[in-house]
Amino acid sequence: MMLRGALGKTFRLVGYTIQYGCIAHCAFEYVGGVVMCSGPSMEPTIQNSDIVFAENLSRHFYGIQRGDIVIAKSPSDPKSNICKRVTGLEGDKILSTGPSDFFKSHSYVPMGHVWLEGDNLQNSTDSRCYGPIPYGLIRGRIFFKIWPLSDFGFLRDSPNGHRFSDD
Amino acid sequence: MAQSQGWVRRYCKAFCKGFFVAVPVAVTFLDRVACVARVEGASMQPSLNPGGSQSSDVVLLNHWKARNFQVQRGDIVSLVSPKNPEQKIIKRVIALEGDIIRTMGHKNRYVKVPRGHIWVEGDHHGHSFDSNSFGPVSLGLLHAHATHILWPPERWQKLESFLPPERSPMQSEEE
Repeated sequence: MMLRGALGKTFRLVGYTIQYGCIAHCAFEYVGGVVMCSGPSMEPTIQNSDIVFAENLSRHFYGIQRGDIVIAKSPSDPKSNICKRVTGLEGDKILSTGPSDFFKSHSYVPMGHVWLEGDNLQNSTDSRCYGPIPYGLIRGRIFFKIWPLSDFGFLRDSPNGHRFSDD
Repeated sequence: MAQSQGWVRRYCKAFCKGFFVAVPVAVTFLDRVACVARVEGASMQPSLNPGGSQSSDVVLLNHWKARNFQVQRGDIVSLVSPKNPEQKIIKRVIALEGDIIRTMGHKNRYVKVPRGHIWVEGDHHGHSFDSNSFGPVSLGLLHAHATHILWPPERWQKLESFLPPERSPMQSEEE
């Protein structure tokens, strides 16, 4: 008698877990979620251990624009995420001003790809190092900071100005 | 009057309850476990779509198998196209990270697959938009493993993971 009660309770618990897990998946996949960022590459806009809000609607509707800060899967490690600013869309001309000679003086962002750069240009491993990344790796767009409270609010534009032309 | 209103209310309540359970569970299942897709094009002939445009194969895409980005050489996988993020392409994995392979029609004769990337090719060489055109693809674009052909019924089969011997890597990191 008690076993039946315990079994029923377990099944109910499993059922609720699956149900809420699925709702959580749908919420994060299609709406957005809270993310904690680590690393110095987006200073001063996002500091190490800041907590931000990411929305995933823009990427589903292909509405990511120049100047957006995005979370993307790392091109060399699919299990880790990177957080950078989109500074070039497909077709943009890339001017190499960085320390690496990866590209010649004029190159274009290929179709279906974006060019990412961290705001902290001196301390950021980004497209200047590994090249443009496919749009399909983008997971979401960060647009709002919720921690620390002193910096609560929408995120600023890039401190590096606009370095790309869309011609 | 009161009785029919109570019935409608209970029905709406049950409907909402069912809806908010069924829709997230179904969506999560299709995103994380498995879904089906129709294959278009001739790039994977003769394994897929041997009949050309007359009959398209419908395959079972297994997300669960691909959840940790573990793929083997010879697997047929679906991925987000690196040239067009709105499209999914279905190809065979030919080489994994660290392998050096001889390409067919790529601008470099030999390519070493970078870390976190794979080299994919369609079985129908020459009629396939694959890594020979766009280079190695990041594993982050992996969408699912194509494991079975479900339709048409006479083509019902399990898709075997088979690497054609002439496409073996010249040198792989495991050796």
